[in-house]
Amino acid sequence: MAPRWKWKGAEAKALAEPVSKTVSELRSSLTQTEALGFLSSCNVLLSVESEEAELLDRCCFGRLVVGAEKDKRWIQLSFEEAFFLFYKLKCIKICLHGRSLENEVDLWRSMSSFKQDFAILYKAYSHLRSKNWIVRSGLQYGVDFVVYRHHPSLVHSEYAVLVQSIGGNDRLKVWSDIHCSVRLTGSVAKSLLVLYVNRKVNTEKMNLPLCLEDYTVEEQTIRRWSPELSREDETRT
Amino acid sequence: MEEKDWEASSSSENEGGFPNDDDEEFHSGGSVPKLQFRVGSSKARWITELGMAEVEVKRGKLWTTTGIIRSGKTYCFIEEALYLSEIGELQILGNEDDIVIPLKDLYEKIAEEKSGCSWENYEVYRYLKGLGYILGRHGVSWTLKDAARPNGEEESACAGECPADNDTVTKLLGDMQICDAKAVFDVYLPNSRFKKSSPGEPSFVACFSGDSPPSKEDIKVLQKRIAAPLTFCHIAQGRASFFSFSSIDLPVLS
Repeated sequence: MAPRWKWKGAEAKALAEPVSKTVSELRSSLTQTEALGFLSSCNVLLSVESEEAELLDRCCFGRLVVGAEKDKRWIQLSFEEAFFLFYKLKCIKICLHGRSLENEVDLWRSMSSFKQDFAILYKAYSHLRSKNWIVRSGLQYGVDFVVYRHHPSLVHSEYAVLVQSIGGNDRLKVWSDIHCSVRLTGSVAKSLLVLYVNRKVNTEKMNLPLCLEDYTVEEQTIRRWSPELSREDETRT
Repeated sequence: MEEKDWEASSSSENEGGFPNDDDEEFHSGGSVPKLQFRVGSSKARWITELGMAEVEVKRGKLWTTTGIIRSGKTYCFIEEALYLSEIGELQILGNEDDIVIPLKDLYEKIAEEKSGCSWENYEVYRYLKGLGYILGRHGVSWTLKDAARPNGEEESACAGECPADNDTVTKLLGDMQICDAKAVFDVYLPNSRFKKSSPGEPSFVACFSGDSPPSKEDIKVLQKRIAAPLTFCHIAQGRASFFSFSSIDLPVLS
């Protein structure tokens, strides 16, 4: 499925402003101001300046929490987004109960205790982000994530992403799941992308972000094929 | 942004084959046809030990895309025989007499699954054949010049089995992997110039994985030994649906 740009000049604008460049700007800006986030049981609330809030929006990290403060902005980050900014980009600090979590092991353990599938979901999230795709929640499409080629104001999301792991959730185990997922994603003009996150058994590092190195990610699309629409006689030109 | 109201954006144009209301017409199904042979229909004789029918009288163009040829004779598998009987193009005679085998007996043969074709396999065969696609058993050649009557030694006539690679026992054992998914039919797009002597590569291979969708491992096992794209068929309440599971590598964007 080709990207569906939202307006005429959108593709040109996207080419002129690559996501990777904006992420680099964000990284240096957040590092300088030592942005601080507060960990709760379901998200991270990040306190930033209005300039950084704009950069976060351009890179599609988090959602703005509407508040009355003029100079401060509060951004609500998912665990995956927050850990990516903390561990991969190393540009934010995070507190839990007023105590700064200095190392990634503490944060990893906290997030893993709050969210059972955090390890595989984070691996999938970082895999997609590392390829410079914009990753957003896919909850309203019945999937884990939706991914965009560029900012959602420029382009429609291309894939609805389901994250699968061995011994993890039991989705797509029966045919009705396949029918349901393919039909729903198709009806909103997306392709279903399944990310298989496989883990080489290594129990020692189970709780540490180091275990991310032991995961591999395989990508697979599932599409419904319609015989009625594909039966052009091969001899016709 | 699109996330605001995804239901409103649902459209029949978004994915071919999914109208907004009911997709009844996009699936196979329908009542069992009455046995009404056309004037001048073809004739074949059922050979029990082969689990196939040997064609004795050929009428019409349908034989250019149906049946396998061995030593100048045309044989058809149970699914081909039943399909042609259903549409009144072929009379299948008993092994030792000239009595036409009724549809009921042919359906029974399919139900028993002794001739390498299950009812689910047949539903897909009938559906695609009815749309003009050309189907052959996977791994079974359309023609073999020097072969005698088809038998189990020459090549595998059973659904989903590949012709044996007789190089070494070690290689055979090495290739053996438990796999719930089966490749059943080689499927070619409708083609008025199709030749059994040079069929070309199939457009795809129709596969079945039973009650559950194929696992990633099953797909890999099949794809390793089959060059053509795989399409997995699912039959439920007489409806046929088709899915492709493709490994991809998302591009790294700038």
